[in-house]
Amino acid sequence: MSRVKQSRRGFLKAALGSGAVGSAALFGPWKHNHVYAAASDKPIRIGLTHDASGQFANSGQAEKRGTEMAVAEFNEKGGVLGRKIETVWMDTETNPQTGTRVAERMITRENVHFLVGAIQSGAANAISQVAQKYGCVYFNTNSSSPTESGKNCHRVKFVWDGSGENFSLAAARNAITTFGKNWILVYNDYVWGQNTNEATKKVATKFGANIMDEVAIPVGTRDWSSVLLKIQQAKPDVVAAAVGGDDFKVMRQQVSDMGLDRKPAWMNNQQDWPDVFGLGADAAFGVFGTTWYHYLDLPGVADFVKAYQERYPVTRISVPGNVTYNGYVAMRELLRVVEEVGSTDNMKIIKALEGRKMSAADRMQHFDAVIDPASHHVQQTIYLAEGNAAPKDETDYFKILSWSDPDAIRASADAECALESYAATPSYDQG
Amino acid sequence: MLYDLIPHLINGVALGLLFALLALGFMLIIGVMEVINLAHGSLFTLGAYGAVMMMAPDGGFSYEFMQPYYDLPAIPRYLIALVVGPLMAGIVGMGLEICLRRTYGADPLYGLLLTFGAALVLEEVIREIWGSGEYYLPTPKEISGGFIFGDLIYSTYRIYAAVFAAAMIGLLWVFLNKTPYGAVIKAGAHDSEMVRALGYNLKVLRLLVFGFGAVLAGVAGVIMAPIWGVRPVVGVDAVIPAFVVIVLGGVGSFWGAVSAGLMVGIVVALTAAFLTDWSLLSMYLLLLAVVTFRSRGLAGKASVLEA
Repeated sequence: MSRVKQSRRGFLKAALGSGAVGSAALFGPWKHNHVYAAASDKPIRIGLTHDASGQFANSGQAEKRGTEMAVAEFNEKGGVLGRKIETVWMDTETNPQTGTRVAERMITRENVHFLVGAIQSGAANAISQVAQKYGCVYFNTNSSSPTESGKNCHRVKFVWDGSGENFSLAAARNAITTFGKNWILVYNDYVWGQNTNEATKKVATKFGANIMDEVAIPVGTRDWSSVLLKIQQAKPDVVAAAVGGDDFKVMRQQVSDMGLDRKPAWMNNQQDWPDVFGLGADAAFGVFGTTWYHYLDLPGVADFVKAYQERYPVTRISVPGNVTYNGYVAMRELLRVVEEVGSTDNMKIIKALEGRKMSAADRMQHFDAVIDPASHHVQQTIYLAEGNAAPKDETDYFKILSWSDPDAIRASADAECALESYAATPSYDQG
Repeated sequence: MLYDLIPHLINGVALGLLFALLALGFMLIIGVMEVINLAHGSLFTLGAYGAVMMMAPDGGFSYEFMQPYYDLPAIPRYLIALVVGPLMAGIVGMGLEICLRRTYGADPLYGLLLTFGAALVLEEVIREIWGSGEYYLPTPKEISGGFIFGDLIYSTYRIYAAVFAAAMIGLLWVFLNKTPYGAVIKAGAHDSEMVRALGYNLKVLRLLVFGFGAVLAGVAGVIMAPIWGVRPVVGVDAVIPAFVVIVLGGVGSFWGAVSAGLMVGIVVALTAAFLTDWSLLSMYLLLLAVVTFRSRGLAGKASVLEA
């Protein structure tokens, strides 16, 4: 037996070296979050970030009905990959700070596989930053600020609603030739309103409009009398409004009450169904955009409406609108992709979604849709509509005027998107 | 330029009368009972929902059950709504006063906390009963639609609301100053112990005053409902301006509250027209400007510390 003489210095060096190697194994240069051994009976958990309070409370709940309906349909057929789908919902309160807290909690404590939801663009931006930090795939169902698929885009985020610029492109040229060139722009003074207004101004100016004034309306404005008097005094041909949620309902009601719905012409960038439902067809005035309508004469639409009514027999909004529709198709596509790739690994999901084509028939729209790989923004049909003077029933508020090919109304704001590289995006798989 | 300003000034006066109406119930409770009732906004909301129940077929009652009532013309239903909404707020307000009794004579913070908690509870109860969606209060066509004013269209309802608010302010002044009941209330505000010594039941007086203040909140809720919409959180839009008006006008001063309401209405209307992005902030800037130089408000009582 030989004795190895070992100095104290040598022993310390060896111990430190072993520790360094061991630590590298744990904390190495790569980022890897929450990998567990695959468990086939473990449910797939989806975090729902829908508002139940604040300006978009109504729309948030409408969106939740869509996402939950898609989940229920999959669960009735055995789930995805043989696994049940569970949802975890928290109220994001139409508030970006709350959105951040909710996203953090859902990822770090509830261990969700994916995040789905958001209407207010500020909240969507906040949630997507948290999602990108961890690598959690996030489907932003109903935000339409051009920034969300533009400069605020992320590798993990997929934007499912048309953007304010899409809607403006669909409506602006028509409005100038039909009504006139003198425009006043009115917008909610937060990220969606500001950016949609910028997009509208750019598009309108391009088609020859003269912008007489731009009026920034604080979120939560209840009294529109002064603004409406000012608009009347200016005598524009068109008023283009980027106002949403509860503010929009109040504005429309007061405009309609004052008989200002016929002149000037109103161009409301986008009209969310929950913001109109209950006000009556008379309040749906002006020209506006939407991604879907329950009376589109297309296969599948009537069945979808019927399935919604059977699943939600007691709800104030008795027919689904664009917000519910966006939630439904987004969730449905997510679950399909998981099934197709056979995994909940975020990179596999992201790569399967980029460039993904979705047929018009499947989406109950007029044109095929595609997920733009450069911006992760769903390019889809945009419908132009106005209030229906001859409704067939008490829910038939809209008259669809036209529908635009997604290629004809591509938003230039999407070109500002710079997605993070795959290497810079953490891998994320809750197993 | 001046000609363009006139419609906005008239609009501001109309808005100001509504703010004054909003603040009067609040002022009554503070003046007599020295309680800041943070549940004022929730009582305002309850009044609005009470009116929705009586006017709108989807407002809470089943249409089939209430069909004979909903088939009545709009005007009688609206008059009933004007009574039922405030009555609901008044009954809940009296219940709140009973809960507040243990805080009288103690640290005023207890009363403040209790009314704050009550506001949250009331809001959640409203949400449980009616949901979180927005309701619309239909109004009779005689007070709806547009009103031609020069070459401008103004809301007929707003004219009606302003006239109604002015009438309510007048009636309240007459009640407080020309009736024996009003004299007792004013005496109670000045010296409650003396009122008790004169043989009046202070408990009953406070209950009735609080209930009356809550009824006024409910009335404001019914009148403002077609303008602000009806949803569970609309009370916040009411209690904050009410608080601003009371402090601006001077706590406990009737005409102070009315003057302050008019000032706030005109300032908000003018900024909404010409500096729209400052419109929500303008009332707070006005408050800051006034109390900086006159801390007791426009017509509040001078403190012993003032020279």
